[in-house]
Amino acid sequence: MAVLQMQKISIYALKKDRKAILEYLQRRGVVEITDPETESGVFAQADTQQQRSLLEKNITAAGQAMEVLSGYAKGKKGLLSSFEGRRELTADQYEAAAARIPETRETAERILSLSREIAEGRAEIQRLQTQIDALSPWLSLDIPMQLKGTKRTRVFVGTLPEERTLEQVLTGLAEEAPKVSGIHAEILSTSADQTCLFVICGRKDAFAMEAALRGIGFSYPASPSDKPPKEQCEGLRARIAQAQDRIRRAEEEIRSFADKREDLEFLSDYESMRLEKYQVLGRLRQSRHTFIVEGYVPQREAAALERQLSDRYDAAVEIEPLSDQDDPPVLLENNAFAAPVEPVLESYSMPARGEVDPCTVMAVFYYVLFGLMLSDAAYGLIMVVGCGALLAKFRNMESGMKKTLQMFLYCGISTMFWGVMFGSYFGDVVDVVASTFFGKDVTIPPVWFIPVDEPMRLLVFSFLLGIIHLFAGLAMKLYQLCKAKQYKDALYDVIFWYLLVGGGIIYLLTMDMVVNMLGLGFQLPAAVGNVAAVFAAIGAVGIVFTAGRESRSPFKRLLKGLYGLYNISGYLSDILSYSRLLALGLATGVIASVFNQMGSMAGGGVAGAIVFILVFLIGHTLNIGINVLGAYVHTNRLQYVEFFGKFFEGGGRKFNPFSAKTKYYKIREEN
Amino acid sequence: MDINSLGVAMALLGAASAALLAGIGSAIGVGMAGEAAAGVVTEDPGKFGKVLVLQLLPGTQGIYGLLIAFITLSNIGILGGSSDVSFAQGLMYFFACLPMGLVGLWSARRQAMASVASIGIVAKRPDQFGKAMIFPAMVETYAVLALLVSLLAVSNIGRIAI
Repeated sequence: MAVLQMQKISIYALKKDRKAILEYLQRRGVVEITDPETESGVFAQADTQQQRSLLEKNITAAGQAMEVLSGYAKGKKGLLSSFEGRRELTADQYEAAAARIPETRETAERILSLSREIAEGRAEIQRLQTQIDALSPWLSLDIPMQLKGTKRTRVFVGTLPEERTLEQVLTGLAEEAPKVSGIHAEILSTSADQTCLFVICGRKDAFAMEAALRGIGFSYPASPSDKPPKEQCEGLRARIAQAQDRIRRAEEEIRSFADKREDLEFLSDYESMRLEKYQVLGRLRQSRHTFIVEGYVPQREAAALERQLSDRYDAAVEIEPLSDQDDPPVLLENNAFAAPVEPVLESYSMPARGEVDPCTVMAVFYYVLFGLMLSDAAYGLIMVVGCGALLAKFRNMESGMKKTLQMFLYCGISTMFWGVMFGSYFGDVVDVVASTFFGKDVTIPPVWFIPVDEPMRLLVFSFLLGIIHLFAGLAMKLYQLCKAKQYKDALYDVIFWYLLVGGGIIYLLTMDMVVNMLGLGFQLPAAVGNVAAVFAAIGAVGIVFTAGRESRSPFKRLLKGLYGLYNISGYLSDILSYSRLLALGLATGVIASVFNQMGSMAGGGVAGAIVFILVFLIGHTLNIGINVLGAYVHTNRLQYVEFFGKFFEGGGRKFNPFSAKTKYYKIREEN
Repeated sequence: MDINSLGVAMALLGAASAALLAGIGSAIGVGMAGEAAAGVVTEDPGKFGKVLVLQLLPGTQGIYGLLIAFITLSNIGILGGSSDVSFAQGLMYFFACLPMGLVGLWSARRQAMASVASIGIVAKRPDQFGKAMIFPAMVETYAVLALLVSLLAVSNIGRIAI
């Protein structure tokens, strides 16, 4: 249980080694680079914006290419692939893949350009299709729509609004231009909102005819074809076929790149690594021939890093202890028992400087409280087996995922323990199966007691656990204050509260009413109560006089002191909050019994057994899901609000070393 | 008519109202949070797991309601066995079920509002999921307390002989 001690590191080296040193630091991944504190004339920071945006573009291109690829060639991705973690590359494989980088970049570009081609082709097909649709009313016309006539005739091809019959058209024309004779008109097609019309007349009548046509609402088509519409249509169809062909070929070519997916992933990783390097490069102070790297390094790595750097390169390495102005990042180190709860702590906050790492203490309570809320031996076993199998199968898992699964594994063990204590195995499945199908009364007796029968007993136990949890939180504060040599604060903020709350609780246990209400099997003698009351009074008086010690005015100090004492209500609500242990524990068991009972309603026999199995599977899956979620959320709450509220503020920054932050591959270090 | 024959009816009214009110509250709550969660998933499908957890938080009241209803049903003998409940006892069961029903109804809705806000946190800052989860869980406390009161009352009424 520890927050690792950090040290400041400064590396002074020649520019000719810059690339090598940065790459070495990146591979080691133990230094967090900081911005230089002061500006100075000789040293300047390089502008790497241009390279960085180029790299970012490449990373985006690789990502998009992979996306395109997975649209055409499905990669093999199992349901559990999220547990797999990054694949390992040996140094040789890394070199080989790195040599293919230029080729891969081209592949990515090619895939993207093919994908653009496909998009363009689709757009073209859409456009051609629209043209074909526009031509469809004219298909029965066997001359080009643009044709204006012959030497002696004039041809009009166009549309009239609304649906008209040939008779209506001819009547209309006769009215508008009574003198024109020798007209031939044909209706090419009609629909509700337009009539396509072909009219031919002698050239001498052309003007009169045109005026007459305009009179009945005639208009020329927007885009008349220079070929007969049918021919035009066929031409368009041929172009669609060509476009489809192009799309098909492009798709085939994209599919042929299916085996390049790994190279693309590598490209994305490779460029991300370079991007990270350039980001660091931009923050370094550099002169014409030298450069300086500044940062934080965990103490235990410092000496080895110093030795290796000065052995390999012409570099001067300076390791300094932290000063008070520094804001070092936080790196936690815990044993296998406590490390799994680190993500829980992280999602609250990393410890601030000077705070202890609460993981070990927290882990004990976390597992116990979680188990008590779920408290079913079979559910616990399922969790243990499930998490254990995943952990065994995917050894290469990312550490965050691994810790979470380990945490649920330990929680599962605790759940099994409490399940056995309370005699809960899938709720009361043994009783139900025995009585429904075999007509016998079989019950697995609890090792301790059955919560549904004695809820008060479990409630008292929950409060007891809560008091232990809260006092452990206070103990952490005591430890922290003593470590910082603030003994007075330790007395005022911790010891007085111990006296007040502890004394108060013991005093309550001497009262008849409380003992009867809680159904305790014992009662403390009155003498003990008197002593406890004295302790509580000392604590209360102490708090009234010290809680407002920051204020100068005595009146204000007294008021603040009284307000400090009012915090006792906070302790009351904190302790009551642990009643959720009972509520959630009972919820699991009772809902499980509800499902068992529902399953048994179909009676015995084969049909009954089938119904029972179905209800059993669905019901218990649902119950596990809901209650694991509930136990997880409420255990976190008890840790964050009740436990951390007593001593932990957080606000630290997580150690974020300069390293290869890749997505797909992990490069194995070979020394 | 013997008034005591109404006892079991009163008790059943209590059980039903616990399941009804708390169930309605949870249905409203989970629905509200689900709408917000669906909005986040349209933008970023990768957050599905996180917003799902937040969506489910207001769902527990319904389960607590079911729990009280079930214990009441089994205590008054509706689920097999004889139902020997006096009118006074029936009334007691009814009142015992009220905290879970009413607090369940109201707290699920308020918890859903906190959940919706927390889903907003996850949408913008997914790394703050741990804290986002706590805000709705704070509301849940009062549902848990109501459950506790209803539970202690319901499971002890049978021992009072009136």
